[in-house]
Amino acid sequence: MKTYIARRMLQGLIVLFIVSFIAFFIFQYLGDPVLTLAGRYATVEQREEVRSLLNLDQPFYIQYFSFISNAVRGNFGMSYVSRVPVARLIIERLPASIELAVAAELFAVVVGISLGIFVAAKPSSLTSKFFMTGSLIGVSLPTFMVGILLILLFSITINILPPTGRGNLVNLFGRWRSGFFTLDGLKHLIMPALTLGMFQMALLFRITRGAMLEVLGADFIRTARAKGLSSRIVLYKHALRNALIPVITMIGLQFGQLIGFAIVTESIFQWPGAGSLLLTSMYESDFPVLAAYIIMVAAIIVFLNVLVDISYALLNPKIRYK
Amino acid sequence: MKKLAVILLLSVFAFSLISGAVSAQDSIVVGVDAPPRTMDPYGSDADSNLSVMSNLFDGLLQRNTAGELLPALATSWERVDDFTWRFTLREGVKFHNGNDFTWEDVKFSLERLGNPEVSEFLAFGGNIVSVETVDGDPWTIDITTEVATPFFAENLHQIFIMDKESTEARNQGEIGTEPIGTGAYKLEEWVRGSYLMMTANPDYWEGKPSIENAEYRPISEASTRLASISGGTLDILQGVPVTFIDQVRNNENIELVTRPGRRSIFLPMTNDEDSPLADIRVRQAIYMAIDIEEIIEKVMNGQASPAAQIPDPPTLGYSEEIERLPYDPDRARELLAEAGYPDGFDLKFDGPNNRYVQDEEIMQAVAGFLERIGIRVEVDSKPMSIFFEEVANQELDFYLIGWFDGSYDYGRTFTQLLHTIVPERGLGGLNGARYSDEVLDSIYDVATKIINPDIRGTNLQVLNRLAMSPEKLAVVPLHYQVDSYATYRGRGINFTPRSDTWIVFKEISYDN
Repeated sequence: MKTYIARRMLQGLIVLFIVSFIAFFIFQYLGDPVLTLAGRYATVEQREEVRSLLNLDQPFYIQYFSFISNAVRGNFGMSYVSRVPVARLIIERLPASIELAVAAELFAVVVGISLGIFVAAKPSSLTSKFFMTGSLIGVSLPTFMVGILLILLFSITINILPPTGRGNLVNLFGRWRSGFFTLDGLKHLIMPALTLGMFQMALLFRITRGAMLEVLGADFIRTARAKGLSSRIVLYKHALRNALIPVITMIGLQFGQLIGFAIVTESIFQWPGAGSLLLTSMYESDFPVLAAYIIMVAAIIVFLNVLVDISYALLNPKIRYK
Repeated sequence: MKKLAVILLLSVFAFSLISGAVSAQDSIVVGVDAPPRTMDPYGSDADSNLSVMSNLFDGLLQRNTAGELLPALATSWERVDDFTWRFTLREGVKFHNGNDFTWEDVKFSLERLGNPEVSEFLAFGGNIVSVETVDGDPWTIDITTEVATPFFAENLHQIFIMDKESTEARNQGEIGTEPIGTGAYKLEEWVRGSYLMMTANPDYWEGKPSIENAEYRPISEASTRLASISGGTLDILQGVPVTFIDQVRNNENIELVTRPGRRSIFLPMTNDEDSPLADIRVRQAIYMAIDIEEIIEKVMNGQASPAAQIPDPPTLGYSEEIERLPYDPDRARELLAEAGYPDGFDLKFDGPNNRYVQDEEIMQAVAGFLERIGIRVEVDSKPMSIFFEEVANQELDFYLIGWFDGSYDYGRTFTQLLHTIVPERGLGGLNGARYSDEVLDSIYDVATKIINPDIRGTNLQVLNRLAMSPEKLAVVPLHYQVDSYATYRGRGINFTPRSDTWIVFKEISYDN
């Protein structure tokens, strides 16, 4: 088991290195940050001075190596644009992103799985058919459209939910600004969380339904029913437990995406999370922020993947020995 | 995707209802399209940043809503000789931390302006040689420049003065987040990407501003911006997208406020000898093939006015005598044939797709007009970070760009956009199509030596007229943008948009 975990961790590290290299390589072609940093009217000499200050006159491999050696020590450098440490910029945005992702995930899990069970239990009812069609819409509606529709309905037509920002926040531990503990904060959270969680809710719904239908057709369910167990116990105790494995995998894999790449949702609702930082940094060719950000998100996703793998191994001993 | 969003938003406005939110008279919330980057007043030369800075800091001079230059931390100013500018400083002004404003703060600030580690105003800062008191009087100073800079004072409204002591004592991270200025407002709280709150400075030298609490709320998504103002969350909205102009006009809750923008949009063309564009008949043909009225009506939704030159009316060097060439596609075709291109030619057309109002759409329209006279246009629109790199590398032949000069001086515009490229003198830095004309350059050289602003103005007008004459056509001008704002009705907001698009809270008030 230990070797299995160690091997998975090592693979994760290799993935991180590859991601960092690709990210760094692509940023060379994102535009020249020196042009804005030296100002519109700067002479060529002044631009070159700024370039050498930022070490941008060095060849690619030297830039990359100094970036990596600093990054390993947790130093991601200074943002070109706001001229403060990158790590601070990103950390500042994380609470907003994590709270949004958690709320979206909660919504997706609770609603998605409940609907999945319901539809699997009563596949031919009219309500089930209605939900099935609805889930197709949920999977295929683009995020920005869900967001705009919600704003149209709740901010403009009935004007009960605010369209932007996070509202009143509570400061936890001196640095974590949380919207979970005020009514205003929760009101601001509803629409972004629904928008971000919509796709995943529909996806979890369909996966749960599929897995449940498969399990419900299995022999041991028929045996359980034949024993005279109530359909409730069969459904939740026997079928659901066995159907949840693919669902949990899905939740684990997608959660990282919700934290790191909620860009569209964040920009529609002006949510001050990490995704909107990524977007502004791209516009401004702020390489240090972009590179650190991509690596951070990759690290989160890799970490969650490793966790999922490990939990598989715990659940199913066969996997460990492969 | 974009179209769908537009249609949805149209329906948003069709549904729009009255909201109940009433804001207090002592506070105001303004939605802006771009977030500030830093609280270091030299850290960004973008207007979105300078706009915020103008509330927290003062320059030696300031501009009012009409764009006139007025005293601020300096009470008077004059140009002593080619290189020397004399200022009388205002006494009794205090920084937000209680420090007195002195000439040493000015000296420190202007020196910091030339430091490439912290400043985006390197060209202006690098030109300043010394800041000294005159005859030992600490309230009169002389600023000397390396190069004769006729527009020196014109730029000082955007060069803000920092507190020497606290700036030297703090690291860059603190300076960039906790501003200490002399401005009408003090920073209360800045949450990046979310909001920026300020409170009135009770000791402000012009008197305490009338609105106590002011808030900037950057909202980058256009549709959300509109939803926020029509729901009453915002009092003023900056940057109403042209595609929604009619809907804003028809919305009872909000009032549309527009003013002619300073920025002109135009098409620079190379005159490299091997290019078809070097032939003046081809340049005329391109100019005459474009129906600017149709672009303004269909693409800009009426939110633009035709331009015949690069500078806008308040700029020194603007000339009323310049007229547009008529729209005449038949004549354009003849001109092409005379120039030896009866079947047209291939032309690459570059431009940004996220910088100016409807930039990509304008490019498509221009390409359509040029196709009609036989020029086969390949439109290549791209993000501005990539486009401006190509401009700076001077690798383009024909492109779309916009310009307004923060110092209100066509001479400065000319050096950047049209002067022959001379890197060591900083000339032609944004002359992306390598345009070069000896006659224009020599007229400009004369202008730099003239101190008297009237004579200099006349000289720059001559330069401008010649550059836009049918014999030269340095660029094809298209239009001036219109700046659009919306205010929430019924709150009695007195708001006059500024020519530089800044939101200066001390100029805004409520009725009664």
